[in-house]
Amino acid sequence: MTSTRRQFLVNGARISAALPFASGLSFGASRDNDTVLVVLQLSGGNDGLNTVVPHRQDAYFRLRPTLSIARGDLVALDDEHGLHPSLGGIGRLFDDGRVAVVHGVGYPEPNRSHFRSMEIWHTADPIDAPTGVGWMGRLSDQLARRTVGALPALHIGDGELPLALYARDSFAPTVRDASGFELRGSAAFRARRDALLRDDRAAGELTAFLRSAASTSYRAAARMEQAAARHSGTEYPGYALAQRLRLVAQLVSGGFDTRLFHVELGGFDTHARQAPAHTDLLRELSESVAAFQRDLTTSGVAKRVLTLVFSEFGRRAAENGSRGTDHGAAAPVLLIGDGVRGGLHGRAPDLARLEEGDVPFSTDFRSVYTTLERDWLGLEPSTSHAALDVLG
Amino acid sequence: MSADVLRAWRPSKGEWDRAAATHLTRRAGFGGGPGEAATLANEPAHDALDDWLSRDAYDERVTKGVHALLPGGDTQRVAAWWMSLILSGGAPLRERATLMWHDHFATSDAKVDDVRMMYRQNELFREHGLGDFRVLLHSVAKDPAMLVWLDGGANRRGQPNENFAREVMELFALGIGNYTERDVQEAARGLTGWGTEGRAFRMRAEDHDDGEKELFGERGNLTGDDVIDRVLAQPACARHVARRLLEEFVTSSPEPAWVDDVARALITNEWHIGRTIERIVRSELFFSPAARRSRIAAPVELVAMTARGLSARIAPREATEAAARMGQALLRPPTVKGWDGMRAWINAGTWVARHNAMTTAAESTTVDWGAVLEGEDGGTPEALAATLVSVLVPDLLGGTLEARLADALRSADGSRDARASLGAALVLTAPEYHVV
Repeated sequence: MTSTRRQFLVNGARISAALPFASGLSFGASRDNDTVLVVLQLSGGNDGLNTVVPHRQDAYFRLRPTLSIARGDLVALDDEHGLHPSLGGIGRLFDDGRVAVVHGVGYPEPNRSHFRSMEIWHTADPIDAPTGVGWMGRLSDQLARRTVGALPALHIGDGELPLALYARDSFAPTVRDASGFELRGSAAFRARRDALLRDDRAAGELTAFLRSAASTSYRAAARMEQAAARHSGTEYPGYALAQRLRLVAQLVSGGFDTRLFHVELGGFDTHARQAPAHTDLLRELSESVAAFQRDLTTSGVAKRVLTLVFSEFGRRAAENGSRGTDHGAAAPVLLIGDGVRGGLHGRAPDLARLEEGDVPFSTDFRSVYTTLERDWLGLEPSTSHAALDVLG
Repeated sequence: MSADVLRAWRPSKGEWDRAAATHLTRRAGFGGGPGEAATLANEPAHDALDDWLSRDAYDERVTKGVHALLPGGDTQRVAAWWMSLILSGGAPLRERATLMWHDHFATSDAKVDDVRMMYRQNELFREHGLGDFRVLLHSVAKDPAMLVWLDGGANRRGQPNENFAREVMELFALGIGNYTERDVQEAARGLTGWGTEGRAFRMRAEDHDDGEKELFGERGNLTGDDVIDRVLAQPACARHVARRLLEEFVTSSPEPAWVDDVARALITNEWHIGRTIERIVRSELFFSPAARRSRIAAPVELVAMTARGLSARIAPREATEAAARMGQALLRPPTVKGWDGMRAWINAGTWVARHNAMTTAAESTTVDWGAVLEGEDGGTPEALAATLVSVLVPDLLGGTLEARLADALRSADGSRDARASLGAALVLTAPEYHVV
């Protein structure tokens, strides 16, 4: 706590108003208190070197005799880097200044277990055993304390709740699709439900609490229904990821108060015959995100929404004997939205200086988190790692 | 003055009623079947308590059935199997204790990732959960799932891992403020070498630190077993266990004096958890206003008491999934702290899950409404409302819930079963029903 407070002072006025819970509902003047963070997780370990390709380094072609991508096929970013050919949609957003690429994001002593490394990213803690509270869960708790009855975080998907969203005092529901807040019950029941809730008389503290929660919940369900019924007219591709992002856009533009969303795209554990699978996955990512950004712009909420794209680790610099890649270490993360300072940030990987065959990290992921937690959301950060200058 | 709080309850006529019987079945179990609270209320209180507390039988076909599930590797099937034991009601207090210890020694398959180890731990709670706490704690400390969960294997001479040592003091046996950081470090040294091999406990002598340690101010060449014994010998230990029992069976905020009394009762009873719980359940305190309607029903409780109360045939897997949507996934507690419970159960998302599970139960075609309504015909809205409230929330009979329900049912038509189903859906989704 002490170091966090010092960090606030060091970093000046912007975050001074975000001192923990001192002022309840008040926020700093720098951002509206309605910014939204979408965390898009690429599960399995995305191959960073074939996502943001360092095509000026001969070592790249040497290390990857079958998997390297020819310079001419890449989506140009700067003189030295290009995106995978499937990432055309994200490339266009980059050209508009709406994508910040942060090179070489990771942490010291990288762990190559999917489970452990994901746990590290989810808890923002590479050292201690997890306490079962995730970095987004900590944010969710802070938001829940500010606005009683709010629904600070949602997991959109069909898997289990990610550890990142585990909170101490609040609970993030998992919503598969827009029907996730659908209330069951016969028509006769629905017509009478509210009559039973209507009672102001003292009924004990717990019942009063539940009554208030139930009312909040029924209102949220109604808002979800309305929000999900709104169509901005934006066309989305048929991918599962696109449909999930569409729901996020509907909820945000429909006035839903959720500020943290977690969505996932799996299948990145490409140990063998990587190229076709990786091509398809990155196309799903790019086209889904592009549609999402178009939708947010059309709906007039693009300024409020920032998407973090990360994976639990990158992959080995050298390809393996199965035309695939094995578990590696650092990799680029993408920050996408109108609120970012577009461009390439951080120190690009130097393939002449690998550590145990891996790209070592040059930016700690916890600095990315601080940027999002404190500077984007106006909340108390998980750690005292310094923020990055990647927001607009 | 002392032990007063555990004085046996001698209800006067009228005090032992359906509401008291319902409190017994829901707090010292997962509720009764249709008509069961009425039957218990018709017996003398003493006999009814004897009856309820002596229920401790399992259907062998069900208990043995788990072995067919284990090879599949799906822990959620074991969770559903556990739910079937809860729903059957054969051993209400033992299953209640099993769930309490699962919450207390909270271990999640999210990390253990092994169906057999999770099953074995669950059986450990069932076997020792009403026995000697000292045996329970020693068994938990050597339980393979716990060793994986809290990194026993990584706790080696020269590089101790404090995970288990810390939690055994902070959460399992003593509570914050009753040990020092030094105690944690020294206990971890004593526990070095405890790990698993092939899903079984294994002591690796080569990893054990056999040097002298100083724990709770005493020096010695402590083994892991010595560490657990010294923890158990701390005065804070019995109080910690006592508080846990009071939180589970009486109220989430027990008075310090009650904790002292129960801790004394625990030691008098040779650390026997079952006998201590029985003293609590038979006491004035258990039936006092402080205990009645003092909890927000946990998801597993809510699902089980509803399915049992309506005798609705709900597949155990559906029941565990419903509870998980409400925030309580069996065998996957969120942290080593277990579930926080009470208000933490509730948010907009979990209330929708409660609402949907409750309406699904009330609209289930498997409900025998004749049995649920105990033969009452519920011909008028008032009669139906009175019957439903007395069956589902008997403490509130004659209150505003009953009046509001009668109002809501006034325009209802259709068969008795249709009206009963509608009325039950309204009661089960009413906030009042979720307070137990």
